[in-house]
Amino acid sequence: MASLGYYLLLAAFVVAAYAAAISVGGARRRSRALTESGIGAFYLVTAIMAAASAVIVYAFVTGDYSIKYVQRYSDSTQPLFYKLTSYWGGLDGSIMFWVSLLSAFGATAVYINRERHRELIPYVVAVISVVEMFFLFLMIVHNNPFSTYLTQNPSDGAGLNPLLQNFYMVIHPPTMYLGFVGLTIPYAFGMAALITGYLDDSWLRAVRRWTMISWLFLSIGLGLGMIWAYEELGWGGYWMWDPVENAGLLPWFTATAFLHSVMVQERRGMLRVWNVSLVITTFFLTLFGTFMTRSGIVQSVHSFGQDPVLTQLFTSFMVGMLVISFGFVIYRLPLLQARNELDSWLSREAAFMYNNWILLFSAFFVLFATMFPTLSEAITKQRITVAAPFFNQWMIPIGLTMLLLTGIGPLLAWRRSTVENLRTQFLIPTLCGLVLGGIVVALGIPFWSAGLCFAFSGFVLGTISQEFWRGARVRQQTSGTDMFTALIGLVGRNKRRYGGYLVHVGIVLMFLGFAGEGLKEHETLSMNPGQQVKVGDYTIQHDRIRVTDDGRKQMVTAEITVLKDGAELTKMYPARWFFRKHEDQPTTEVAIRRTLAEDLYVVMPQFDAGQQSANLEITVTPLVNWVWLGFGVLALGTLIAVLPETAFAFASARVPEAVKAATASMILLAIVTPAAVQAQDGGGRVVKSQAQRSLEDRVICQCGGSGCVRATLTNCNMRPVCHGHTALTAEIKSLLDEGKDVDQVLASFVAKYGQAILAVPENKGFNMLAWGLPYVLGALGLVTILLTARRWSRPAAAVAGGGDTQIDPSLDARLDDELRNLD
Amino acid sequence: MSSETSTESQFSGDLQSSGSESLRPWQLFTLAGLIGATITVFLSRGQSPAAVVLLSLTVFAAAAVGIAALRTVMPLTSKATPDTTQVLGGRTRAVLERDKGLVLRSIKELEFDRAMGKVSDKDFAEMSARLRGRAARLIRQLDAGAGYREQIEREIEKRLGKTPAPVAGLCPSCATKNDADARFCKGCGKAMERQS
Repeated sequence: MASLGYYLLLAAFVVAAYAAAISVGGARRRSRALTESGIGAFYLVTAIMAAASAVIVYAFVTGDYSIKYVQRYSDSTQPLFYKLTSYWGGLDGSIMFWVSLLSAFGATAVYINRERHRELIPYVVAVISVVEMFFLFLMIVHNNPFSTYLTQNPSDGAGLNPLLQNFYMVIHPPTMYLGFVGLTIPYAFGMAALITGYLDDSWLRAVRRWTMISWLFLSIGLGLGMIWAYEELGWGGYWMWDPVENAGLLPWFTATAFLHSVMVQERRGMLRVWNVSLVITTFFLTLFGTFMTRSGIVQSVHSFGQDPVLTQLFTSFMVGMLVISFGFVIYRLPLLQARNELDSWLSREAAFMYNNWILLFSAFFVLFATMFPTLSEAITKQRITVAAPFFNQWMIPIGLTMLLLTGIGPLLAWRRSTVENLRTQFLIPTLCGLVLGGIVVALGIPFWSAGLCFAFSGFVLGTISQEFWRGARVRQQTSGTDMFTALIGLVGRNKRRYGGYLVHVGIVLMFLGFAGEGLKEHETLSMNPGQQVKVGDYTIQHDRIRVTDDGRKQMVTAEITVLKDGAELTKMYPARWFFRKHEDQPTTEVAIRRTLAEDLYVVMPQFDAGQQSANLEITVTPLVNWVWLGFGVLALGTLIAVLPETAFAFASARVPEAVKAATASMILLAIVTPAAVQAQDGGGRVVKSQAQRSLEDRVICQCGGSGCVRATLTNCNMRPVCHGHTALTAEIKSLLDEGKDVDQVLASFVAKYGQAILAVPENKGFNMLAWGLPYVLGALGLVTILLTARRWSRPAAAVAGGGDTQIDPSLDARLDDELRNLD
Repeated sequence: MSSETSTESQFSGDLQSSGSESLRPWQLFTLAGLIGATITVFLSRGQSPAAVVLLSLTVFAAAAVGIAALRTVMPLTSKATPDTTQVLGGRTRAVLERDKGLVLRSIKELEFDRAMGKVSDKDFAEMSARLRGRAARLIRQLDAGAGYREQIEREIEKRLGKTPAPVAGLCPSCATKNDADARFCKGCGKAMERQS
């Protein structure tokens, strides 16, 4: 079986090479036969990869432990479900899975577009084939998933990492990969357009939907990763700026920027060089993200270990890709010249430029901060750490700006907004923002950053509701239907715009969730059976500890009763599972009680089965579920935006038909009602030794255990069993008891453990770069935008008087007719 | 948009329609896949259901490899026929139709923006005029393209001294080509004479 798989990979490589060569040849010689053969070969790669995938999954299912990869990532006791998904549990298999997905995605894209964009297709085939060839090459020479043990086949496998034996972990990687792989398609089309010189907007039209779909997968993948971290790692949060999380976020930023700026090109024909560059950058970042995870150049929970050969191969491919791509951009600059003109600073175009600036800046900042430790180690030979607190410091203001722009952008008109326009457009949203912000601050939530976040969210929600409301009213007037039908018709006729607004609603919900993250309460307790402790509004009572075994793992479960106002609310069962063969890596099974207002999150890091006592970590996080809800709304919005033109056609009827209207209203009610359920706020706050908390937030755990890299003491997911954690917290406590203040404690820690212990690098020496450079580049970006905008702007007087505006009346009447029929 | 169909590829059709009587290639491979899978299931009776299913899937993947391989080789062996895309002034008709649709949609959107109070009247007038001009130009281009061939044919017939034989779907009054079963002309709106 193993050699069959390997030969399939070899065959795939050869066929991909053939596809690339012959389709370029076909395009150059204008031979339809060659091009068609290339497309056929391209499909052939997909078929071969499907066969190879079937072979390796078969090896997993039948337990062919002579194959190293199978032996390393599965064992005989694993349930079938995890055996199937072990396929992408390790490095080699995930590269293969990647190629399979890419070939399938690429084949679909080529199949759909083969007639509509015939001039681009040969090069699209060639570009995707070259990317496939690179990954196939990696597998053939370096990471062969089918390599076997030469002698002594082991009788059983080592088993999949227990952390990965989780439902979300099963679907998170494929979704991420789909997002990453999907972003290759826009790149391929962009490159094809550059190579052929067919640089009108047709390639954009071909890739818009693909970008949206990939973006959706990427977003959902990120969301699933967050849920996984929240439910499985047990530190009470969902995002810790781990390099690999960041790797997924980088292309997300640039793809988002592209989805926005593409509208400017469609509407105004501007920003053409910029859009091509964004597509290239996005693809580069997906490669870079894969590279960061796979080569081990940065420390991360996800990394598979150091691998210098892989680093070299990847680096050369990425450099080559960048040089060739941007080489073509420069070569085609004359064709990319556009009539760039900006009528006003207060226009939708300008708003899109600010939006691109902030997104690109975020991408750059995250990239820079992620790579900074590697950079610093290479230059100053000193290991430092850049962890969550540093990112948060920066990303909170950036995120808030982004949120604000989300609200402002849609209110501006294309070309120019007059003062009058601005007044009518901004009045309601601003009021919404002020009211919500006021209420929240009055309730005692700090103004920075949570209060501001609420205010901005209110503003954005105001904007979006106003857009929907006014749009529906306009449509109601023209079509004469009732409000609900008008609303659905509105969304149906303008899916991209209103789908996009829904996505914005999702983003707002997420931001509300993020704001809640800053308001959480956290307690670490040691409890004996029968003891009660009050956390927030809840009273927690520890009942007993139970030890069970299901053959694959031993489970230690604490039974806890949660009371509120004296009445029993629920029972919760936090646990630790010890998987066979991985006893040193027990998983933390979190118990969560979810409500829309807040989550009660209980973890049992340590226990004493004999005494029946348990250490419990209890976190009350307000509004977390809004993040997940936000992802749901975002997915819904994107789906509406990618729907084909004919969807929702039923709502475009002009005369109200009672039945239809009634159903439509009911659909809408069904959608709206659940979202409008309670939204109450969490209660009082428990304050714990402020200095200790702030130090635990700023010191990196030194346990070095797997799954605990770059985590602060508060976030270390091994704690408090983790020896490093216990020692460090004890040390902090003793230093504080000696009467030292926070800075003195930090100084003594640096003296003892080196710079790497600080979560936020000190602002001196080489590290000043980490603090200064983002500022400098952010400002530079803004200045560039301002200068470009200045160059593009033209005096208002020159605006009036377009060229040929005389249309003969009969044609004009026909135009009106067609416009009416368009509805 | 009947023009879309005129751009259909001959090659993609090949796989489905080479000889309607005989076995088509994809049918052959599907059949081979089915037979192969049956044999595999028969041979691997002792194994777990999941393994049997996977083996069958492998066989089907092999069949797909066969189809794709054929798809790769066929274009090279079959005789190349010239491109059948209908070209109007260097751009295909489909492209023009799509462009028109886009411009019309832009006008709609602009009118909508004005109704929402986002665009000032002056800007609206200027932008709308430009977009309408563009739409009119595209419509004119499309109209011209649709009639050319028929007009030329009629001219030729006239010079040769024959009365024009009524062509299926050709409007008798304005020579616009309509669908064969059209009852009214899409160009001038007059009733078409039904052909038996």
